Amino acid sequence: MPWPTTRRVIGTKVQRLDGPDKATGRARYSFDINLPGMLHARILRCPHAHARIKNIDSGAAEKTNGFRALHIIANAGVQLFFAGAEIVAVAADTEEHADDCLHAIRIDYEVLPHFVKEADALRAPDGPSTVPGGTPNVRPGGDFSTAKFDDVAYEGTAPRVEGTYGVAIISHQCLESHGLVAQWDNDLANLTVYASTQAVPLTAQALAQNFKLPVTRVKCITNYMGGGFGSKFGPDIQGIVAAELARKARAPVKLMLDRAEEVAVGGQRPSAAGTVRIAGTKEGDIRAYEVDCYGSPGVGGGATVNLGFLPYVYSVPNIKRRHRFVRLNLQTGRAMRAPGHPQNCLLTDQAVDDLAASLGLNPIILRTRNLPQNDQNAVQNDPTSFPALRHTIYTRQLEIIRKLCSWDDRWHPPGRGDGVIKTGLGMALHTWGGGGGPPNPTRVTVSSDGSVLVQSSTQDLGTACRTVPAIITADILGLRPQDITVQIGDSTFGPSTPSGGSTTCPGISPAILKAAEAARDALFAAIAPGLNAQAADLSIDTGHVINRANNNARIPWRNACGRLGMNTAIGNGDWPTNAQFQQNPDLRREWRGRLTNNGVGGVQVAEVKVDTETGVVRCTRFWAVQDCGLIINKLACESQVAGGVIMGVNYALFEECIYDRVTGRMLNPDMEFYKLGGIRDMPDIMVHMMDMPERGVIGIGEPPTISTAAAVGNAVFNAIGVRVPQAPFTPERVLAALANGRKRN
Amino acid sequence: MSDSKDKGGLSRRGFLQGSGAVAAATALGTIPTGASAGQQAGGNGQQVPGMGPNGVKLSLNVNGRSMNTTVEPRVTLLDALRNYLDVTGCKRVCDRGSCGACTVLVDGKPVYSCSMLALEARDKPIRTAESLVAGAKLDAVPEAFARFDAQQCGFCTPGFVVAMKAVLEANPKATQAEVERGLCGNICRCGTYEQMRDAIYSLCNQQRRT
Repeated sequence: MPWPTTRRVIGTKVQRLDGPDKATGRARYSFDINLPGMLHARILRCPHAHARIKNIDSGAAEKTNGFRALHIIANAGVQLFFAGAEIVAVAADTEEHADDCLHAIRIDYEVLPHFVKEADALRAPDGPSTVPGGTPNVRPGGDFSTAKFDDVAYEGTAPRVEGTYGVAIISHQCLESHGLVAQWDNDLANLTVYASTQAVPLTAQALAQNFKLPVTRVKCITNYMGGGFGSKFGPDIQGIVAAELARKARAPVKLMLDRAEEVAVGGQRPSAAGTVRIAGTKEGDIRAYEVDCYGSPGVGGGATVNLGFLPYVYSVPNIKRRHRFVRLNLQTGRAMRAPGHPQNCLLTDQAVDDLAASLGLNPIILRTRNLPQNDQNAVQNDPTSFPALRHTIYTRQLEIIRKLCSWDDRWHPPGRGDGVIKTGLGMALHTWGGGGGPPNPTRVTVSSDGSVLVQSSTQDLGTACRTVPAIITADILGLRPQDITVQIGDSTFGPSTPSGGSTTCPGISPAILKAAEAARDALFAAIAPGLNAQAADLSIDTGHVINRANNNARIPWRNACGRLGMNTAIGNGDWPTNAQFQQNPDLRREWRGRLTNNGVGGVQVAEVKVDTETGVVRCTRFWAVQDCGLIINKLACESQVAGGVIMGVNYALFEECIYDRVTGRMLNPDMEFYKLGGIRDMPDIMVHMMDMPERGVIGIGEPPTISTAAAVGNAVFNAIGVRVPQAPFTPERVLAALANGRKRN
Repeated sequence: MSDSKDKGGLSRRGFLQGSGAVAAATALGTIPTGASAGQQAGGNGQQVPGMGPNGVKLSLNVNGRSMNTTVEPRVTLLDALRNYLDVTGCKRVCDRGSCGACTVLVDGKPVYSCSMLALEARDKPIRTAESLVAGAKLDAVPEAFARFDAQQCGFCTPGFVVAMKAVLEANPKATQAEVERGLCGNICRCGTYEQMRDAIYSLCNQQRRT
């Protein structure tokens, strides 16, 4: 079951099927669901970064206009560990009344000590624990060292270079906030939710578990969803609360977070900071990378802080890593678009450029010399895998981008250039997985009127995954994508994998291929006898079924399907199970070596202009070279890459969650002082997709955002000749770096 | 941010000045008339019409249709459209006049509907993104968004579409730079500006990347 070698639709630029509905507001997101008799719910949250609830008085709330139901989430005596933690939820007939109701609730708190800034917690290693269980705020995150680092690392190297690099905690800022609409049937036996989620079946399962219902009695619908970026897996507290309130009130309930809540509890990307020592030979071979680093996962464990890839991408023989988690009184960090990677990239690729400057080398030379080699074992056993190809891929990408951005003409040694506004060019590299897996059962149904339906419970976060089934099915059946009806985002269609880790497109694509081929074969088997042919005599050409048994007669698609009469032709497709993969290595090579694959590389270059009087950085041009195996939809692929770059430019220049040390509250839980760039803040972006169809389908959602911020940081360094250590590179920080640079000289 | 120095066109600052004026007017209690309004004594002894706090009848002209409901005076135009009239093309994102996802046309001008009271919009024609399609016939602006894939999750898109429509209606010969300036009050999180530029160049009949 290989991919078609001649691809009519796969790999072309296909408009997303729901484009017109989204652009004209007809697409109904979970936030847009209005049901008859629906109530609106709101949650009262802890205003303190760390507190114990002394008393809850909700008596007055239950007498307010429009009150319908109340649910206590945290009782008196409970300790809360961040501002925004949930305490009480209410439902009322209107949003306005739900607000009134919330204002009528009185809570008394015992306010406890807190830390919301990494530096404060690090300065007080023996200070009060402000996190659950009384465990230390600062915890080891796993140290690492290659053998005899202190003895051998710096042998024969040029003087080592030391630098500090950091990046702030940022917010996912999904435009559609977290939440759902919950509706029970009359006897409270069946629950339907319209949820904004990256995991449709998982959300239904979690609710079923919570309410002790058979999973078959919970249905999760996600027709459209307004962004997740890694923060929307499962119903969360607010989803469960909405269903609780709906059960108590015996009416549908909508509970979508407002913007301040969304920023307070809807997820954040952990911070990272590190002091790096790096050294290499004068020819530019990196010999040693030593880092003392930490990041904050908020109040939760350390899983979302992952600086364990340091040094990132490059092959360095001597490595030493000290790694700590700094737990703060903030919401627990969540996965955000390539979790861990942008931070690892910032702490590596910026140091690489500083080393290049100290060695007096062009950084593209340094990068070319220190790429990871192709793994010879993988070349033998798994020739299409990333380890087998990584040196080849990066080398090609560096060649492509060098020409694309005219690197040799544009690049200059750091800090060169006259005038107030200085231009700089910077580069960075990244890698990501992006493989798919089971289960993703898909059903293709061909009806006798020629219409075709594809069903899967998968979800479209905005990546155009709704259009993927149409593209693949159209290719196999000789139709156009717009001829195919796609139904997704319904948990009753069976299991599917959550959309995390760039796994959706590679997860669903081979299952769709299998289902479409099975439907085609079922059609052929059903109509062949009437055509005096064997099924094997029939084949597909654009819009037609070809009958080899009758002089290659061309039967229009609809006429061919009409022969189904009362029947339909159904094809089901899914991945082999993990057990089958273990038993059969050939199966694994087919599905995870040819149909799909895992592992990509990418190279990005930024051009910036830095105003040395105001400190304002503008990213003016950007180049991104990205591989992703077999491209399904080139239009959507390019859009994903450009979007990743834009998110990375925001990360580099604008985004930061700012917390007040004294009150422990966030100062910018909004979209006015939490900055996201507009259209005129963003560079002209040139995307080059490196097509490698022989590798199969690989996910593309995350990789293109990884190296952007590091490329921008290096471009700023190249422009002004001094390193701005902390991202985002705001005017204040740029001016401070320039002043420090002047002091040193 | 880039809009701070803009002259003319439509900028975030322009939006904010507009909504500021609305807020001031509301605070002074100068909402003009109201059939179901109660009567309050004004400072000079005259009867000045006042409203609320309970629901008042509201009739809005949305996309050429007259729509009726009852809302408290504190309800914004955005919430009236979404929660009371089931017109959901305008999205609630920041709810504070920063992101533009709620942009609608009031009297032909783009307005952050989160920053205008519903009662303020009485007797004024309101147009939302839903007005830019009739059956399968798409207006040129959403058509360009779809063709160039200038949207991903799409939650900001109707706001961008309406803002862009406003610029092009005010000046059908607007240049690409003028259209971009008109979008400075809107924010996209997925990062579709690059594809939006393709759509803008096409709508302005300009060539991009020769």
